[in-house]
Amino acid sequence: MFKRNKILSVIVGIVAILGIASFMVPSNALTATAKTTIELWLNKPQAKVNGETRWIDDTNHSVTPISKWGRTLLPVRFISENFGLVTLWDAKESKVTVMQGGELAGTISEAGSTSVLPLAEKFALAFMKKHPKVRISYTGGGTGAGIKQSAGGTVDIGAASRDLKISEPDLMVHAIARDGVAIIVNKGIGITGLTIDQLGKIYAGQVTDWKDVGGKSGKINVYTREEGSGTRDTFQSMVLDPAGLKMSPACLAKKSNGEIQMSVQSDPNGIGYVSFGYTEGVKGLLLNGKEPTIENVKNGSYPISRRLYFLTKHNDNLLVQAFIAFCRSDEGQKIVSQEGYIQLAD
Amino acid sequence: MSKHEQFSEKLGKSLIFIFASISLLILLSIVFFIFRDGFLAFKENGFFHFIFGHDWNVQDNTFSVLPLIVGSLVVTIGALLFSVPIGFSCAVFLAEIAPEKVRNIVKPAIDILVGIPSVVFGLLGMILLVPYIRDHYGGPGLSILAAIIVLILMILPTIIAQAEDSIRSVPSSFKNASLAMGATHLQTIWNVILPCAKSGLVSSVMLASGRAIGEAMAIYMVIGNTFTFPKSLIDPSRTLTSNIVGQIEEAAVGGTHLHALFGCGLILLFIVFILNSYSFFIKRRGCRSC
Amino acid sequence: MKKNENCDHIKLSVHHLDFFYGKKQVLRKISMDIHKHSITALMGPSGCGKSTFLRVMNRMNDLIPEARAIGTVLLDNEDIYGNNTDVVKLRQRVGMVFQQPNPLPKSIFDNMAYGLRIKGIKDKQKIAELIEKSLKKTSLWGEVKDELHKSALSLSGGQQQRLCIARAIVMEPEMILMDEPCSALDPISTTKIEELMKELVDDYTIVIVTHNMQQAQRVSDWTGFFYMGDLLEFDKTKEIFHHPKEKKTQEYIEGRWG
Ligand SMILES: Nc1ncnc2c1ncn2[C@@H]1O[C@H](COP(=O)(O)OP(=O)(O)OP(=O)(O)O)[C@@H](O)[C@H]1O
Ligand SMILES: [Mg+2]
Repeated sequence: MFKRNKILSVIVGIVAILGIASFMVPSNALTATAKTTIELWLNKPQAKVNGETRWIDDTNHSVTPISKWGRTLLPVRFISENFGLVTLWDAKESKVTVMQGGELAGTISEAGSTSVLPLAEKFALAFMKKHPKVRISYTGGGTGAGIKQSAGGTVDIGAASRDLKISEPDLMVHAIARDGVAIIVNKGIGITGLTIDQLGKIYAGQVTDWKDVGGKSGKINVYTREEGSGTRDTFQSMVLDPAGLKMSPACLAKKSNGEIQMSVQSDPNGIGYVSFGYTEGVKGLLLNGKEPTIENVKNGSYPISRRLYFLTKHNDNLLVQAFIAFCRSDEGQKIVSQEGYIQLAD
Repeated sequence: MSKHEQFSEKLGKSLIFIFASISLLILLSIVFFIFRDGFLAFKENGFFHFIFGHDWNVQDNTFSVLPLIVGSLVVTIGALLFSVPIGFSCAVFLAEIAPEKVRNIVKPAIDILVGIPSVVFGLLGMILLVPYIRDHYGGPGLSILAAIIVLILMILPTIIAQAEDSIRSVPSSFKNASLAMGATHLQTIWNVILPCAKSGLVSSVMLASGRAIGEAMAIYMVIGNTFTFPKSLIDPSRTLTSNIVGQIEEAAVGGTHLHALFGCGLILLFIVFILNSYSFFIKRRGCRSC
Repeated sequence: MKKNENCDHIKLSVHHLDFFYGKKQVLRKISMDIHKHSITALMGPSGCGKSTFLRVMNRMNDLIPEARAIGTVLLDNEDIYGNNTDVVKLRQRVGMVFQQPNPLPKSIFDNMAYGLRIKGIKDKQKIAELIEKSLKKTSLWGEVKDELHKSALSLSGGQQQRLCIARAIVMEPEMILMDEPCSALDPISTTKIEELMKELVDDYTIVIVTHNMQQAQRVSDWTGFFYMGDLLEFDKTKEIFHHPKEKKTQEYIEGRWG
């Protein structure tokens, strides 16, 4: 969670039960009335929350409960966030704050990837419903904008649909969901699927007519995202790079998922790639025979997916922390699947 | 002058001086920043390669802008080629020929058109024009033709309004002189009124070309944004401005990509500078013959 | 159409002219004969319609929307408000000099050549000759012959006005209308222009609007006195100034008002 300047969690011993640690909130007896049950094993990076297996830190699989000084030390954020508590890490003072209850109030501003946009909106709505005194705003602009603005402090949270590059500012990275990239075409196009190989050739400008990939004759209008887009990076690294291809400069570029969707919807010969959330009104193609569905991404058969992230500059804003914790909690992850994205922890 | 008057005179002058200096300072700092980051683009990519090359690839970290320059110029010149003669004719018609009643309706309407935000034209272009071009002329519809038409619609009101004003501000004594010598109305318009309005007409063209070459969003919506040279009117292309507007938000801070975008800005600045000096030159020459 | 009995001496004859700007009538039942090779002065208080009447004679009023002239105006016995009058030809025959000198913002030469070119004269030699002749007539030649390609706007006010007169006569009109041609000028320039008019009258018929009674007496043969849209009196200049028939005329001449 504190990826990047990775302090493997401040581990604070809370309770020690050798072997298995079980928690309930509030301190009811170990009965079926428990609202949340967390099971952790020493030296195992996965835990169970209400019986479901989860990575303790899905971005760092070496985080496990450990034994020290004859005590079992557990990752405090994993524990407390799954109990719906807010955990704050103050790097300056090396201090951990865990908070329960209290009313959250204030504003959070977000900006960045348009792939994250629909999800972030739903997150915000749900969070504001829970905490009526909180206001959350989201502006798009792309992953680059998300990185830039969160690093510059103009927004509290940046949204990214790709991993940060080495040249980019050092930010706290919080995975919030996974996402597939769908290949979309106009509904009028007669083909139902492409191979990754054909797709690569289309985007490299080597195949320019639909009849060469099994469709009716017609020049393919290839839509792509602008340089720097997270979705484009994903597409590039998963479709073009493996085949050693370059994206043709003759691709028609658009600034957002929505614009690609709109263009393909109105262009009878259009093809584009978008986040799974943007497939309404267009046809999502089978890729290597696999439908663009969440199941297929989960089971690894659908070939193009990536993680979506929230980025923050510091970890010291209680409200922002609480919001991100909410997004990563069970409740938040439910929204993730409702919105057609893919939950983190599996 | 009383003490009090002297004081307020001084105060007024120093206030004006302060405001003038502030705006100059702001302008200079803008230019400074564009130059600073823009020059980096030239340095990182090589001067000649940056201007005359035609690759733009973040992954390979190479940037060059010739297709963008060509796109910008083609679209701007294309738009001017149509809107200047049409605009001038409309202006002459409104100022000289149309009955008062027509003018009283049309002129305010045009003034309103001048104020319509360009994105609106972009939107109209995207929704009406692009599909039309695609269906009737082929290609993806997103094209320099669409961009040119959007620009024409956008700058035509500017040209008409400005040109009409400058034609109407030609002193009527000139017109009377010509007519009293037995010139026809058309001869008078052609030989006296238009030459006298020249400076205003040139201004209107400059203003329009400034708007055209600087327009980003509306063009972005209809030009298709390929990184290619247009070979025909229905080919998509990309302009310096639409390149900036498309990528600035995605470009990593402090990276070569961002510098390259600033480089585009620098080139734009340079083109606008040339345009303005040229208009200054024309106007000066115009005055001498006047 | 009523023919004047001594029509040979009459260049232009106005008969029962009413003139309106929209609904406003500014001239009422004006009848006046302009004699060939004479200078006719039009006088009267400001706003009485002198300029309007002058513009009737070359139809410059046509440019004013809603302006209407009713009545007959005969130039060499031809109705200039008739259906088949060529206004452009008319204005070439009846030249005009305005109150404010109004050279075009072109060179002196081009100002002079402008009308000739419009008339269709292309021969450069001929244009140059005609220009020289007119500039000599207005005694401007000596002053400007070395700088014909300088802007006309760089001339002095008096020179500009003489240029405007030269520009009018280079067209070889039959009549010249002058609307207070000296009002913007100093006494020396005024004198020059008055002398010029006296020379020109041998070749042309001149009508001049003036507020300057001395000028009218000095240069004109005939004088018309306008008052609030009426032509109160029209007679030989000597008669008007020495034996005015109307009381109003006398008062005006004596400078009691106006
Ligand atoms: N273009 C016009 N539209 C409407 N009314 C006009 C116009 N020009 C002149 N008039 C009116 O017609 C009347 C006569 O005007 P005109 O200019 O002929 O007077 P004038 O005798 O030449 O006066 P001045 O000695 O001041 O030059 C005035 O009442 C004037 O207001
Ligand atoms: Mg007058």
